[in-house]
Amino acid sequence: MNLIVMPVVIYLGASFLVPLLFRRDGEKACLAACLFTILGLAVSVLLAVRVFPGGRLITYAGGWENPMGIALMADGLSVLFLLVTNLVSLLVLLFSATYMKRYTGTVNFYVLVLLMLAGMNGVLVSMDIWNIFVFFEIASLASFVLVAFGLGAEEMEASLRYTVMGFLSSVFILFAMAMIYGLTGTLNIPDFAREVSCLPQSHLWFIVSLFIAGFGLKMALVPFHSWLPDAHSTAPAPVSALLSGIFVKVIGFYCVMRISLNVFGHVAQVKTVLLLLGSLSMVVGGVMAYGQKNIKRMFAYSTISQLGYCAIGIGIGGYLGCLGALMHFIGHAFSKSLLFLSAGAVEYMEGTSESEDLRGINDRMPFTTLVSNLGMFGIAGVPPLGNFWSKLIIILAAVGAGYTGIALLCILVAVLTLSYFLRLLRTAYYSRTEGKKEKREVPVSMLAPMFALGAVVLLTGLLLLPPVRSIILDGAVRVMKDFSYRDLSVSVIAE
Amino acid sequence: MIIYLLVVLIFFIGLYGIVAKKNIIKIIVGINIVGYAINLLFIVLGYKWEGMAPVLTREVEVSEFYRRAVDPLPQALVLTSIVIDLAFLAFLSALAIRLYEKYATFDMDKIRRLRG
Repeated sequence: MNLIVMPVVIYLGASFLVPLLFRRDGEKACLAACLFTILGLAVSVLLAVRVFPGGRLITYAGGWENPMGIALMADGLSVLFLLVTNLVSLLVLLFSATYMKRYTGTVNFYVLVLLMLAGMNGVLVSMDIWNIFVFFEIASLASFVLVAFGLGAEEMEASLRYTVMGFLSSVFILFAMAMIYGLTGTLNIPDFAREVSCLPQSHLWFIVSLFIAGFGLKMALVPFHSWLPDAHSTAPAPVSALLSGIFVKVIGFYCVMRISLNVFGHVAQVKTVLLLLGSLSMVVGGVMAYGQKNIKRMFAYSTISQLGYCAIGIGIGGYLGCLGALMHFIGHAFSKSLLFLSAGAVEYMEGTSESEDLRGINDRMPFTTLVSNLGMFGIAGVPPLGNFWSKLIIILAAVGAGYTGIALLCILVAVLTLSYFLRLLRTAYYSRTEGKKEKREVPVSMLAPMFALGAVVLLTGLLLLPPVRSIILDGAVRVMKDFSYRDLSVSVIAE
Repeated sequence: MIIYLLVVLIFFIGLYGIVAKKNIIKIIVGINIVGYAINLLFIVLGYKWEGMAPVLTREVEVSEFYRRAVDPLPQALVLTSIVIDLAFLAFLSALAIRLYEKYATFDMDKIRRLRG
């Protein structure tokens, strides 16, 4: 059995099986979705065992070799993303077992989530540019529908804006692919990467700028960010957690990373653009988040701001920059999905997520407040947690590479992040309330996944310890720093 | 060359529809035009003047086939792309109808409850 195609096959198969088997039974559909996700997680762990010691697995779909076949590849970087994606989505699915009971037609919800996971896993293992396009379109289409899942006026409005922007980004990427195919006659990434150096400069820059516009829209870097706060703040909480925690990173961050580092190979101009857009989104996202009244909207702007750090990390490059960006991705994926789940829990019990209407959540929901604290401190970067180290590493890398201004900006935005989260904690969570203090905690079935995510957030700080780092992170960082698709010899076929 | 300019022209007409128009239906039409422009670009890339269908039969010489047959790959890609466009179109139309039920308008400026 071929291990690399399994993450895609499991989820695609599941998304067809689940609606056939459980037409109306949302609970059984949820159970099945969780089981399939556990299977996906197991496959990613198996892949990690094979790949993390070094090297990569390559396979060709259907056994057809290079010019005809579609290449799939799993290396340290993609397997790390696979692990994070599957772990987060498993916990989010467990949470939605209870949360989604308020909605009708929940079977459709699980089908769409499975479809989105199939798309995301497909993007992570593909080595063919058209394959990547098809997979991220599957994931995006599922996400557009998921944002509108509640069928409220605001949800559909957000989904409309999100869909139009999503289509624009796909069109830019498709245009770049047409250019690539017209100029080089191939869609296979290694073949294309070999041809890149022979292309005229003007064509190359046109393609690169189309890619950055397209994937920048997907990643919500600042001039292209307008859709993200609407979509992520109005969607049902598990969907927000999936979109903010992993979707923008897999579809946006991962693809930007692959294109700018591994295909075009550390070009100075691309890095300058990433540094510029990264600093811009870091600052604008942070400032906008400070002014938000709605909890979920604040978290959505904070996502833009934190993705700026990731972009800056790849923009700086080098061992430290790549390590920082990667650690920031991991820490943020877990803490942001935890935060959106906890906001969902607050909304579930209190009926609102406007911070002005919420007073003294701590008196009524102490456990939810505890995990919210953990998520907020995780993102703001309070010392033992992962994002503190990642921000520190990015700042050190910026200073080391001579970008002192950017390092200062990073510190300022880190302080800003901490300040808006502390303000939110003071006004909404720890403010005093008059009257009786009855406990109205969410059910254990919602608390348990949040506590599990919280435990993972606590563990992210340990990623930097040398033995753990050398097993999990170093392979991926090596891929980001040194690997180029053009070095991949055509004849290397593992398995 | 002129046909590539035509593609770019269609692309920008569609882009104008998406960016400048306020009516959701017109935006959806713009989205379709942009999609068609890219599909046309793919087809034009694989096309050869005086070309033939890329099917090798007994009557056709291999050398002539190589010279005249159009590139089949872009056509396969465009089929995929059309299906994706169709999914977009179906979803957006359904969304437009549902939004009309909620807001009683197709005007994007009036569909604006989200702020900030």
